[in-house]
Amino acid sequence: MTRAPDTGLILIFRGTHQVLSAEKRLKGGGVPLRLIPVPRRLTSDCGLAIRIPFDHRAPAREILSRARLFPQSAHLPRADGEYDLVSL
Amino acid sequence: MAKAVGDAILRAGNPGRSGHALSIRSARDLFVARERLAELFGCADSSRFVFTENATVALNQAIKGVLRPGDHVVTTSVEHNSVMRPLRRMEDGGVRVTVVPAGKDGVTEARNVISAFRKATRLVVMVHASNVSGALQPVDAVVAAAHRRGILTLIDAAQTAGAVPIDLSTLPVDLLAASGHKGLLGPQGTGFLFVREGVPIVPLIEGGTGSRSESDHQPEFFPDALESGTLNSVGVAGLAASLAWILRKGVGTIRRAEVVLVGQLLHGLSRIPGVTVYGPADPAHRGSAVSFRVEGIDPAEVGARLEKRSGVLVRAGLHCSPNGHRAIGTFPIGTVRVSPGPFTTRAGIATFLSALRKIRGPSA
Ligand SMILES: Cc1ncc(COP(=O)(O)O)c(C=O)c1O
Repeated sequence: MTRAPDTGLILIFRGTHQVLSAEKRLKGGGVPLRLIPVPRRLTSDCGLAIRIPFDHRAPAREILSRARLFPQSAHLPRADGEYDLVSL
Repeated sequence: MAKAVGDAILRAGNPGRSGHALSIRSARDLFVARERLAELFGCADSSRFVFTENATVALNQAIKGVLRPGDHVVTTSVEHNSVMRPLRRMEDGGVRVTVVPAGKDGVTEARNVISAFRKATRLVVMVHASNVSGALQPVDAVVAAAHRRGILTLIDAAQTAGAVPIDLSTLPVDLLAASGHKGLLGPQGTGFLFVREGVPIVPLIEGGTGSRSESDHQPEFFPDALESGTLNSVGVAGLAASLAWILRKGVGTIRRAEVVLVGQLLHGLSRIPGVTVYGPADPAHRGSAVSFRVEGIDPAEVGARLEKRSGVLVRAGLHCSPNGHRAIGTFPIGTVRVSPGPFTTRAGIATFLSALRKIRGPSA
């Protein structure tokens, strides 16, 4: 499967507080990340999501499950603009 | 604090409603303040702190969100009207209310509260420190006893949050309400309700939360469950700044300083002829509110003279707590109330006492 350039894993959380909480924990654990607007294709929410490099998914999974902040879903962008649902 | 509010007003976006930079800044202000509240009160999960306009809204949310017809609720005779009026309203709707009387010093005995528990008791509501007599209430003992019996507890910490240490990691209270603009030194229009995980509570207000927008049902996760509509993120930015100051200083340090000042105040007042002071004699048994009366002069007149002659601002009257005044025998005239805070100095108290000593004299 072809991936879009600048691919990263997009993590969707329940609410803004959970996004910012996850951001704080991931940063504290040395996971590079960006806050991005939730892509409209993924949910109808007007909020924020977190994008992390795909190869940081193991430490991210570890940090977020310890903090009980597991994302609702994780997505990988495809070259055609769609997203694959993946597990974190 | 004022600078933080000013900065926030200049850049406020709607928190959590959009992915643009301004919206994120506002959402961050809320997040940072929440994290600081959680740190201040010893709670690992900041999502359990819900922002409200003031303590009154937090108390209404707690009381009306938990009690149902047929439930029994226990409270004390020294509660503020922001507790009593919602409880009286609930009483009309079939909730039974027991009001446990406090002693003349404004302190409610824990054993009297505990012996009012019944099978149907759902909730105990208790002020941490009375805003009339200043009396600290035995919340530790009552909360522990209620917790053992599976009864929910709500503490009104309007007078103590930021001024008297409260540790949610050791005090198993279910709900805690406070204002942002008193001991937490934040701006008016801020307050919070802490809801412990697992406590069943129904929102008082439903609406937009910026989350789950595809659903027309209120989300059940916190803080969104109880935070609908655009929040006062500008005020909360100010609260975040004052919380940082309190965390640096330490509530223990603030408390020790206030106990000394209250001691100085009580001692000085006790030596002025014709002045009666209410509440516990020991400053360690009270918050910082000190209520007194000057024989033969109406409290409002005492207040006006103090302001005119010494610039000291006091609050005279019933302090929105007729029950608190009935308990200590000062209803309906009320009292004059002064409350030292973290910026009060010994010299400030001395100025106040000297103005009060001359209260009967002609104006200068
Ligand atoms: C004990 C007590 N409870 C509740 C309140 C209500 O606080 P707020 O004005 O923030 O709603 C006050 C404030 O006067 C208070 O002293």
